[in-house]
Amino acid sequence: MNIIIIALRNLLRHKRRTALTASLIALGVLIVILFGGIGNSFKKEVVGILTNSSMGDLQIHRMGYVSSIDNLPLNMYIPEQALVKVEGLLNENPDVAAYSERIRFGGMLSNFSQTTNMRFTAIIPEKEIATCPGLPSRIKEGSPDASSFLKPGQIVIPENIATAMQLKVGSDVVLIATNKDGSVNGLNLTIAGVSENLQGPGGKDGYIHIEDATTLLRMEGREISEIAVKLKDFNRLDTVAASLSETLSQMKNQKSGKPILELHTWEQLSPFSSIAKLISILLITVRIVLMFIVIVSVMNVMIMSVYERIGEIGTIAAIGTIPSKILALFLTEGVILGVASALLGVLVSVGTLLVMSVIKLPIAFGRMELQIAPQIPTFEVLLALVSVLVVSILASLEPAIKAARMEPVDALRHV
Amino acid sequence: MSLVKMENVTKTYQAGAVEVHALKGINLSIEEGKFISFIGPSGSGKTTLLNLLGCIDKPTIGTLTIANVQTNTMSRNTAAKFRGNNIGFIFQNFNLIPVLTVYENVEYPLVIVQKVPKAERIQRVLRMLESVGMLDQKDRFPNQLSGGQKQRVAIARAMVTEPKIVLADEPTANLDHETAYKIIHLMREIKDNFHTTFIFATHDPRVVGEAEIIYEIEDGIIINKKESN
Repeated sequence: MNIIIIALRNLLRHKRRTALTASLIALGVLIVILFGGIGNSFKKEVVGILTNSSMGDLQIHRMGYVSSIDNLPLNMYIPEQALVKVEGLLNENPDVAAYSERIRFGGMLSNFSQTTNMRFTAIIPEKEIATCPGLPSRIKEGSPDASSFLKPGQIVIPENIATAMQLKVGSDVVLIATNKDGSVNGLNLTIAGVSENLQGPGGKDGYIHIEDATTLLRMEGREISEIAVKLKDFNRLDTVAASLSETLSQMKNQKSGKPILELHTWEQLSPFSSIAKLISILLITVRIVLMFIVIVSVMNVMIMSVYERIGEIGTIAAIGTIPSKILALFLTEGVILGVASALLGVLVSVGTLLVMSVIKLPIAFGRMELQIAPQIPTFEVLLALVSVLVVSILASLEPAIKAARMEPVDALRHV
Repeated sequence: MSLVKMENVTKTYQAGAVEVHALKGINLSIEEGKFISFIGPSGSGKTTLLNLLGCIDKPTIGTLTIANVQTNTMSRNTAAKFRGNNIGFIFQNFNLIPVLTVYENVEYPLVIVQKVPKAERIQRVLRMLESVGMLDQKDRFPNQLSGGQKQRVAIARAMVTEPKIVLADEPTANLDHETAYKIIHLMREIKDNFHTTFIFATHDPRVVGEAEIIYEIEDGIIINKKESN
């Protein structure tokens, strides 16, 4: 016999009450862990798609470019001298896995009978695929190989444009664009691939080879509007971004003394970061709700338990149980109730997540069709167990102190 | 040498706006190994006196010495430990712990209070259960026992710590005639075998009849002391 056995048997005195309380706590833990598992996996999956297939983990632009990105300005290229320095920095940085220089511009695409406006990203295919390795898997028609994905003279268009203009791989199109001096130029290209709508349902983003953009826009030197960067460890994003940003801020315009370049992480560039933040806020809310469930449930049971057993408390105190032991008896009861219920919740939720990870949850997000295989959120599981433990102790403390402070003579008189 | 010495003990309660003088200047000396009974009408102060002797209450005025220890100045912790090592309690309503078996109820003070090693604990619990004739019921829970059986278990629990004093408040009040008679004889037998002092507060003439010393209390004052031969 020990305190744990006594506590367990006391809990089992009122089986239905204990079972109801335990199931309420277990349900709370289940919701936290399921939400954590599915929410985080969804977030990870979408962020992975965004960073791996189009955005990169972070991007470098000329100062002021991002605030006017909707116009895709042609006169805000990274100066060549600065570009060389940045490339040197990125080549030397051990946290950088790859980077891709891009020219972004707006233009018109014509199939000789219809014309539509589009945004284009001109890339060096090998470097783009090293920076956005998920890009080939988003190409629905055409070659997903890095070597043949996009060659000079070719274009990759999104599926909404392909459908609307009845274009397919091999079709000839004309790309018309205005260069920074205001002259309009055209270029014949062949469709090399049709991609998913990488920027969402309204996205009209195509890819061409950087050599074609240089010709079309009549560029004389290397005029890059964007450098997308992929990191070796995505978890170090904030640290690397801060350090790179600091280094870039040293590169200043000699006349104005202001930094030439700016750096943004994917979170600062993608509207999905708001959804990701919302998921995190919801998760915190669910955690707080769990804490309230535990505190109210455990406290209710323990207050009832002390009230029903006043005479018994008097007896054990009279026969020599010291107040701290009485406190320990009631605390143990509350902690067992909380932790055992939480463990039940963990077991059920982990089991559910394992099943879900095998069958994979199909979730449509915009035009993206995701197959979410939720991972066990270890942090969430540990946090749930530790917080339930702490909250159970806090919730049991007041009734337990009340029991320990009872005068045996008064408690024995209680009927 | 006295086991218990009460000097000018007064106990006053506050019951709402009324001040109740439960005991008024009690002087008392109790020798070891006696079978003592306090008798008197309801509200005379018997239970209050027993509570003071059991160190679960403190006198308002006066000193109380038990086994050479002045108990009226003890802290709550010290008083609890003192009770656990020196005093056994038998209650009118038996007060067994419902979630523990007969064996565990008797074992409880040895585990939680005295922390006796397991081997010795087993020996002492079994011996005590045998003494009260409850060895064959040791795995039962209190709700599976009759009143008399519960009181036997309560006696075993009170005795297992080898206390100097056992205090019993109306121990036969909830028992039928025959069972009460058996319980009184059991306590007398245990007192003779273990040389423990038994102090009762009772109305029951059968208990009074077995007592070696009888104190009569009225309005918080001992008005008479009788010793049987």
